[in-house]
Amino acid sequence: MLIEFQNPLNSSALAFPILECIHIVGFALSIGTIAIVDFRLLDFGMRHQTPAQLNKDMSLWTIVGLAIMVLSGMMLYSSDPDMYYLNWAFLLKMTFLVLAIVFNYTVHRGVVLSGASPGRTKLVACVSLALWMCVVFGGIFIGFLNPTLDINKV
Amino acid sequence: MSLFPFFHFLQSTEFATSIRESALVYPVIMMTHLASIALFGGMILMGDLRLLGLAMKDHPVVDVIGRLRIWKRIGFVIMVTCGFLLLAAKAELYYPNPFYWLKMTLLALVGVHALVFHRSVYGNLPAIDRAPQMPGTAKVAAALSLVLWIGLVCAGRWIAYYEPAKTAVQAAHR
Repeated sequence: MLIEFQNPLNSSALAFPILECIHIVGFALSIGTIAIVDFRLLDFGMRHQTPAQLNKDMSLWTIVGLAIMVLSGMMLYSSDPDMYYLNWAFLLKMTFLVLAIVFNYTVHRGVVLSGASPGRTKLVACVSLALWMCVVFGGIFIGFLNPTLDINKV
Repeated sequence: MSLFPFFHFLQSTEFATSIRESALVYPVIMMTHLASIALFGGMILMGDLRLLGLAMKDHPVVDVIGRLRIWKRIGFVIMVTCGFLLLAAKAELYYPNPFYWLKMTLLALVGVHALVFHRSVYGNLPAIDRAPQMPGTAKVAAALSLVLWIGLVCAGRWIAYYEPAKTAVQAAHR
């Protein structure tokens, strides 16, 4: 049985751009707070604090940012799921998002809380920054691939 | 005097044309523009939240705002440079767009904000740390900064959604 469902997000021309703005502020907050800790791991920025101290104060805001970003992202996705599903930039973005979140709460968290050799610490900070940048890059490319999508060829 | 000739000149330069016509360079510049918002916009947000007493209360303002300043400045330069390249590539398209001009107005106001609050807040961080409680001016500065930066992001996003009204000639052809 096919259920007829009209997504309310598609009945307003304003809904999508408003959600995009919320999405951007959400990832500025989450990625920005993670970046502050990463910069500290690289010995830049707030060097008077230990990475663990910084992480303690950032973690709530990182979660708030992630929640805003993921929820608004899911709503954006719901406006046209087929298009996103068929868009390889979107699939790449989701892969990097999962990798970035898992990395953040496993390897990254371990180094921040317990410390590691200077080389490993810097490597982990660079990997963390690179993963989050890949998420942003994937997001931008969704829009640039979209016009070329031909559903009949899939 | 209209600024349009300048926008036309900008878009016609060989440099801007090559950005516009490249399938890869344009999105890469846009990605860098957005990535710098993610990295350094987040630092601006945290600085404002610190002044408002909502985040990082265990750390002195000097550390949160002072020590991240150089990174915010580097990020700002990357962001503005990429933004200018995006503008140059499609300058004639931006010229009639009210959201572009709103964004530039907000950007100018960010500059005014920095000048107005330099003496009392941003150039006066140790005194703010010594004060028994957060001065009202610092909270006002932080709240205004939040409004300006979130407004900038929104205006920037809205540029893409502006559709110019059809001219009478175009309408007649339909």
